[in-house]
Amino acid sequence: MSEIKLVFTGSAGAGKTTAISTISEIPVINTDVRSNDFTTHLIRQSIDTSRKETITVAMDYGELTLDDGQKLRIYGTPGQQRFDYMWKILIKGALGLIILVDNAGDDPVGDLARYLDNFREFIKETSAVVGITRMDLSPEPNLEIYHEYMQSHGIRLPIYSVDARSRDSVVMLIHALVAMLEYG
Amino acid sequence: MLAPQLITKLDQRLAKLLEDCSVINAAVVTTADGHMCAMRQGNQDYPLERLATMGSTLMSLGDTITAELKMGTCDNIISENKQGIVAFMHINNNLVLVTLTVQKNALGMLLSHSRRCAEEMAQFV
Repeated sequence: MSEIKLVFTGSAGAGKTTAISTISEIPVINTDVRSNDFTTHLIRQSIDTSRKETITVAMDYGELTLDDGQKLRIYGTPGQQRFDYMWKILIKGALGLIILVDNAGDDPVGDLARYLDNFREFIKETSAVVGITRMDLSPEPNLEIYHEYMQSHGIRLPIYSVDARSRDSVVMLIHALVAMLEYG
Repeated sequence: MLAPQLITKLDQRLAKLLEDCSVINAAVVTTADGHMCAMRQGNQDYPLERLATMGSTLMSLGDTITAELKMGTCDNIISENKQGIVAFMHINNNLVLVTLTVQKNALGMLLSHSRRCAEEMAQFV
Protein backbone atom coordinates (compact mmCIF):
# COMPACT_ATOMS: atom_id res chain seq x y z
CA MET A 1 0.00 0.00 0.00
CA SER A 2 1.49 3.34 -1.00
CA GLU A 3 1.16 6.62 0.83
CA ILE A 4 0.82 10.04 -0.70
CA LYS A 5 1.09 13.43 0.97
CA LEU A 6 -1.24 16.05 -0.46
CA VAL A 7 -1.61 19.67 0.55
CA PHE A 8 -4.69 21.87 0.40
CA THR A 9 -3.90 25.54 0.15
CA GLY A 10 -5.77 28.61 -0.99
CA SER A 11 -7.47 31.77 0.08
CA ALA A 12 -8.88 32.38 3.56
CA GLY A 13 -12.40 31.04 3.87
CA ALA A 14 -12.18 28.97 0.67
CA GLY A 15 -13.00 25.77 2.54
CA LYS A 16 -9.67 24.02 3.13
CA THR A 17 -10.48 22.94 6.68
CA THR A 18 -14.01 21.98 5.64
CA ALA A 19 -12.78 19.94 2.68
CA ILE A 20 -10.34 17.97 4.82
CA SER A 21 -12.99 17.41 7.50
CA THR A 22 -15.43 16.25 4.82
CA ILE A 23 -13.23 13.41 3.59
CA SER A 24 -10.97 12.47 6.48
CA GLU A 25 -11.32 8.98 7.97
CA ILE A 26 -9.76 10.15 11.23
CA PRO A 27 -10.75 13.05 13.47
CA VAL A 28 -9.11 16.02 11.82
CA ILE A 29 -6.25 17.63 13.66
CA ASN A 30 -6.73 21.32 13.31
CA THR A 31 -5.31 24.50 14.76
CA ASP A 32 -8.22 26.87 14.31
CA VAL A 33 -8.47 29.91 16.54
CA ARG A 34 -11.03 32.65 16.75
CA SER A 35 -10.37 35.34 14.18
CA ASN A 36 -9.68 38.82 15.46
CA ASP A 37 -10.25 40.44 12.11
CA PHE A 38 -13.30 42.04 13.67
CA THR A 39 -13.85 44.76 11.12
CA THR A 40 -13.63 42.46 8.15
CA HIS A 41 -15.65 39.86 9.95
CA LEU A 42 -18.47 42.22 10.87
CA ILE A 43 -18.66 43.68 7.40
CA ARG A 44 -18.76 40.24 5.85
CA GLN A 45 -21.18 38.90 8.43
CA SER A 46 -23.68 41.58 7.52
CA ILE A 47 -23.82 40.28 3.98
CA ASP A 48 -22.92 36.64 4.44
CA THR A 49 -23.60 34.71 7.61
CA SER A 50 -21.91 31.55 6.30
CA ARG A 51 -18.42 33.03 6.76
CA LYS A 52 -16.46 31.18 9.39
CA GLU A 53 -15.31 32.94 12.52
CA THR A 54 -12.11 30.97 12.97
CA ILE A 55 -8.90 30.73 11.01
CA THR A 56 -6.23 28.04 10.76
CA VAL A 57 -2.94 29.33 12.17
CA ALA A 58 -0.71 26.27 11.73
CA MET A 59 -2.22 23.35 9.81
CA ASP A 60 -5.03 20.85 9.37
CA TYR A 61 -4.36 17.15 9.03
CA GLY A 62 -6.57 14.29 7.89
CA GLU A 63 -6.27 10.89 6.23
CA LEU A 64 -8.14 9.12 3.46
CA THR A 65 -7.73 5.68 1.86
CA LEU A 66 -8.65 5.50 -1.80
CA ASP A 67 -10.43 2.49 -3.38
CA ASP A 68 -7.14 1.17 -4.74
CA GLY A 69 -5.61 1.14 -1.25
CA GLN A 70 -3.53 4.27 -1.62
CA LYS A 71 -3.39 6.12 1.67
CA LEU A 72 -3.53 9.88 1.50
CA ARG A 73 -2.06 12.04 4.22
CA ILE A 74 -3.79 15.36 3.72
CA TYR A 75 -2.51 18.66 5.07
CA GLY A 76 -4.17 22.05 4.98
CA THR A 77 -2.27 25.32 5.13
CA PRO A 78 -3.35 28.59 6.72
CA GLY A 79 -4.87 30.92 4.14
CA GLN A 80 -3.50 34.29 5.22
CA GLN A 81 -0.26 35.51 3.68
CA ARG A 82 1.18 36.30 7.11
CA PHE A 83 1.40 32.54 7.74
CA ASP A 84 3.36 31.86 4.56
CA TYR A 85 6.21 30.23 6.52
CA MET A 86 3.79 27.35 7.18
CA TRP A 87 3.27 26.94 3.43
CA LYS A 88 6.98 26.22 2.99
CA ILE A 89 7.01 23.79 5.90
CA LEU A 90 3.90 21.88 4.89
CA ILE A 91 4.76 21.52 1.21
CA LYS A 92 7.98 19.61 1.96
CA GLY A 93 7.64 16.01 0.79
CA ALA A 94 4.22 16.57 -0.75
CA LEU A 95 3.39 14.94 -4.06
CA GLY A 96 0.58 17.23 -5.07
CA LEU A 97 -1.22 20.45 -4.33
CA ILE A 98 -4.90 21.38 -4.34
CA ILE A 99 -5.56 25.11 -4.53
CA LEU A 100 -8.98 26.23 -3.34
CA VAL A 101 -10.20 29.69 -4.25
CA ASP A 102 -13.21 31.41 -2.71
CA ASN A 103 -15.20 32.76 -5.64
CA ALA A 104 -17.10 35.07 -3.29
CA GLY A 105 -13.86 36.71 -2.10
CA ASP A 106 -12.81 40.23 -2.97
CA ASP A 107 -10.38 39.23 -5.74
CA PRO A 108 -10.63 35.52 -6.51
CA VAL A 109 -8.51 35.57 -9.69
CA GLY A 110 -5.88 37.58 -7.81
CA ASP A 111 -6.02 34.98 -5.04
CA LEU A 112 -5.39 32.19 -7.55
CA ALA A 113 -2.50 34.17 -9.04
CA ARG A 114 -0.96 34.61 -5.59
CA TYR A 115 -1.04 30.90 -4.79
CA LEU A 116 0.19 29.88 -8.22
CA ASP A 117 3.07 32.28 -7.74
CA ASN A 118 3.90 31.19 -4.20
CA PHE A 119 3.90 27.51 -5.14
CA ARG A 120 5.32 28.01 -8.65
CA GLU A 121 8.42 25.87 -8.16
CA PHE A 122 6.50 23.07 -6.48
CA ILE A 123 3.86 23.01 -9.23
CA LYS A 124 6.59 22.87 -11.89
CA GLU A 125 8.12 19.82 -10.26
CA THR A 126 4.92 17.97 -9.36
CA SER A 127 1.36 18.94 -10.08
CA ALA A 128 -1.71 20.74 -8.84
CA VAL A 129 -5.44 21.09 -9.40
CA VAL A 130 -7.62 24.11 -8.72
CA GLY A 131 -11.02 24.05 -7.05
CA ILE A 132 -13.25 27.11 -7.09
CA THR A 133 -15.67 27.19 -4.16
CA ARG A 134 -18.83 29.16 -3.41
CA MET A 135 -19.74 29.61 -7.07
CA ASP A 136 -23.34 29.09 -5.98
CA LEU A 137 -23.14 32.35 -4.02
CA SER A 138 -21.03 34.21 -6.53
CA PRO A 139 -21.14 32.81 -10.09
CA GLU A 140 -18.69 35.41 -11.40
CA PRO A 141 -15.89 35.16 -12.34
CA ASN A 142 -16.77 31.97 -14.18
CA LEU A 143 -14.34 29.11 -14.85
CA GLU A 144 -13.52 30.50 -18.29
CA ILE A 145 -11.98 33.59 -16.70
CA TYR A 146 -9.70 31.41 -14.58
CA HIS A 147 -8.78 29.30 -17.64
CA GLU A 148 -7.92 32.43 -19.57
CA TYR A 149 -5.80 33.74 -16.74
CA MET A 150 -3.82 30.52 -16.46
CA GLN A 151 -3.43 30.16 -20.24
CA SER A 152 -2.13 33.71 -20.50
CA HIS A 153 0.55 32.76 -17.96
CA GLY A 154 1.44 29.47 -19.61
CA ILE A 155 -0.13 27.37 -16.84
CA ARG A 156 -2.16 24.29 -17.65
CA LEU A 157 -3.95 22.88 -14.62
CA PRO A 158 -7.37 21.26 -14.25
CA ILE A 159 -9.91 23.58 -12.67
CA TYR A 160 -13.30 22.64 -11.20
CA SER A 161 -16.19 24.21 -9.40
CA VAL A 162 -16.39 22.39 -6.07
CA ASP A 163 -18.37 22.33 -2.85
CA ALA A 164 -16.00 21.81 0.08
CA ARG A 165 -18.89 20.38 2.13
CA SER A 166 -19.53 17.62 -0.40
CA ARG A 167 -17.49 14.43 -0.07
CA ASP A 168 -18.03 13.56 -3.74
CA SER A 169 -16.85 16.98 -4.80
CA VAL A 170 -13.65 16.87 -2.74
CA VAL A 171 -12.88 13.25 -3.66
CA MET A 172 -13.29 14.22 -7.33
CA LEU A 173 -10.61 16.88 -6.88
CA ILE A 174 -8.29 14.36 -5.25
CA HIS A 175 -8.85 11.79 -8.01
CA ALA A 176 -8.05 14.48 -10.57
CA LEU A 177 -4.83 15.28 -8.76
CA VAL A 178 -3.83 11.65 -8.41
CA ALA A 179 -4.48 11.17 -12.13
CA MET A 180 -2.31 14.20 -12.89
CA LEU A 181 0.47 12.72 -10.77
CA GLU A 182 0.23 9.35 -12.46
CA TYR A 183 -0.23 10.41 -16.05
CA GLY A 184 1.11 13.98 -16.09
CA MET B 1 -8.23 44.16 17.46
CA LEU B 2 -7.76 45.42 20.99
CA ALA B 3 -8.75 48.89 22.19
CA PRO B 4 -5.93 51.46 21.90
CA GLN B 5 -5.90 52.03 25.70
CA LEU B 6 -5.39 48.32 26.24
CA ILE B 7 -2.57 48.18 23.69
CA THR B 8 -0.90 51.08 25.52
CA LYS B 9 -1.12 49.18 28.80
CA LEU B 10 0.35 46.08 27.21
CA ASP B 11 3.15 48.14 25.72
CA GLN B 12 3.91 49.74 29.10
CA ARG B 13 4.02 46.34 30.78
CA LEU B 14 6.41 45.04 28.11
CA ALA B 15 8.66 48.06 28.73
CA LYS B 16 8.65 47.20 32.45
CA LEU B 17 9.49 43.59 31.63
CA LEU B 18 12.60 44.61 29.71
CA GLU B 19 13.57 47.06 32.48
CA ASP B 20 13.10 44.52 35.26
CA CYS B 21 14.89 41.69 33.50
CA SER B 22 17.92 42.86 31.58
CA VAL B 23 18.54 39.45 29.98
CA ILE B 24 15.31 39.74 27.98
CA ASN B 25 16.17 41.22 24.60
CA ALA B 26 12.71 41.44 23.08
CA ALA B 27 9.08 40.77 23.92
CA VAL B 28 5.91 40.68 21.87
CA VAL B 29 2.20 40.34 22.60
CA THR B 30 0.21 38.79 19.78
CA THR B 31 -3.37 37.71 19.29
CA ALA B 32 -4.02 33.99 18.91
CA ASP B 33 -4.62 34.57 15.20
CA GLY B 34 -1.29 36.24 14.63
CA HIS B 35 -1.81 40.00 14.86
CA MET B 36 0.81 41.86 16.82
CA CYS B 37 -0.58 44.01 19.66
CA ALA B 38 2.57 45.35 21.32
CA MET B 39 6.33 44.89 21.10
CA ARG B 40 9.53 46.00 22.75
CA GLN B 41 13.13 45.24 21.97
CA GLY B 42 16.55 46.53 22.98
CA ASN B 43 19.20 47.49 20.47
CA GLN B 44 18.54 44.53 18.23
CA ASP B 45 16.50 44.54 15.08
CA TYR B 46 14.45 41.39 15.29
CA PRO B 47 11.54 40.92 12.85
CA LEU B 48 8.97 41.08 15.63
CA GLU B 49 5.89 41.21 13.36
CA ARG B 50 6.97 37.87 11.97
CA LEU B 51 7.76 36.53 15.44
CA ALA B 52 4.26 37.53 16.59
CA THR B 53 2.60 35.52 13.84
CA MET B 54 4.88 32.55 14.43
CA GLY B 55 4.10 32.78 18.14
CA SER B 56 0.41 32.30 17.43
CA THR B 57 1.20 29.30 15.23
CA LEU B 58 3.44 27.66 17.83
CA MET B 59 1.01 28.16 20.72
CA SER B 60 -1.78 26.70 18.63
CA LEU B 61 0.37 23.68 17.79
CA GLY B 62 1.24 23.34 21.48
CA ASP B 63 -2.43 23.42 22.42
CA THR B 64 -3.22 20.86 19.71
CA ILE B 65 -0.46 18.52 20.87
CA THR B 66 -1.41 18.70 24.54
CA ALA B 67 -5.08 18.17 23.65
CA GLU B 68 -4.17 15.07 21.62
CA LEU B 69 -2.14 13.74 24.53
CA LYS B 70 -4.81 14.76 27.06
CA MET B 71 -2.24 16.74 29.04
CA GLY B 72 -4.45 19.72 29.76
CA THR B 73 -3.62 23.18 28.48
CA CYS B 74 -0.20 24.11 27.11
CA ASP B 75 1.51 26.50 29.54
CA ASN B 76 4.77 27.32 27.74
CA ILE B 77 6.72 26.44 24.66
CA ILE B 78 10.46 26.87 24.98
CA SER B 79 12.79 27.00 22.02
CA GLU B 80 16.40 26.57 23.17
CA ASN B 81 18.77 27.50 20.40
CA LYS B 82 22.49 27.84 19.77
CA GLN B 83 22.30 31.59 20.21
CA GLY B 84 19.52 32.10 22.70
CA ILE B 85 16.13 31.08 24.01
CA VAL B 86 12.60 31.96 22.91
CA ALA B 87 9.62 31.39 25.20
CA PHE B 88 5.97 31.36 24.16
CA MET B 89 3.10 31.42 26.65
CA HIS B 90 -0.59 32.18 26.86
CA ILE B 91 -1.75 35.40 28.48
CA ASN B 92 -5.32 34.22 28.04
CA ASN B 93 -7.26 32.34 25.35
CA ASN B 94 -6.83 35.17 22.90
CA LEU B 95 -3.36 36.58 23.59
CA VAL B 96 0.15 35.13 23.53
CA LEU B 97 3.36 36.51 25.04
CA VAL B 98 6.64 35.82 23.24
CA THR B 99 9.95 36.70 24.91
CA LEU B 100 13.54 36.03 23.94
CA THR B 101 17.04 36.23 25.32
CA VAL B 102 20.39 35.77 23.63
CA GLN B 103 21.85 34.38 26.87
CA LYS B 104 21.74 30.60 26.85
CA ASN B 105 21.94 30.27 30.64
CA ALA B 106 19.01 32.58 31.39
CA LEU B 107 16.07 30.22 30.96
CA GLY B 108 14.94 30.55 34.58
CA MET B 109 15.02 34.34 34.52
CA LEU B 110 13.29 34.44 31.16
CA LEU B 111 10.49 32.14 32.26
CA SER B 112 9.88 33.60 35.70
CA HIS B 113 9.74 37.22 34.56
CA SER B 114 7.73 36.35 31.48
CA ARG B 115 5.24 34.30 33.47
CA ARG B 116 4.73 37.09 35.98
CA CYS B 117 4.26 39.55 33.12
CA ALA B 118 1.71 37.29 31.41
CA GLU B 119 -0.23 36.85 34.65
CA GLU B 120 -0.37 40.59 35.26
CA MET B 121 -1.46 41.22 31.70
CA ALA B 122 -4.20 38.62 32.08
CA GLN B 123 -5.63 40.66 34.94
CA PHE B 124 -6.17 43.79 32.88
CA VAL B 125 -7.05 42.45 29.45
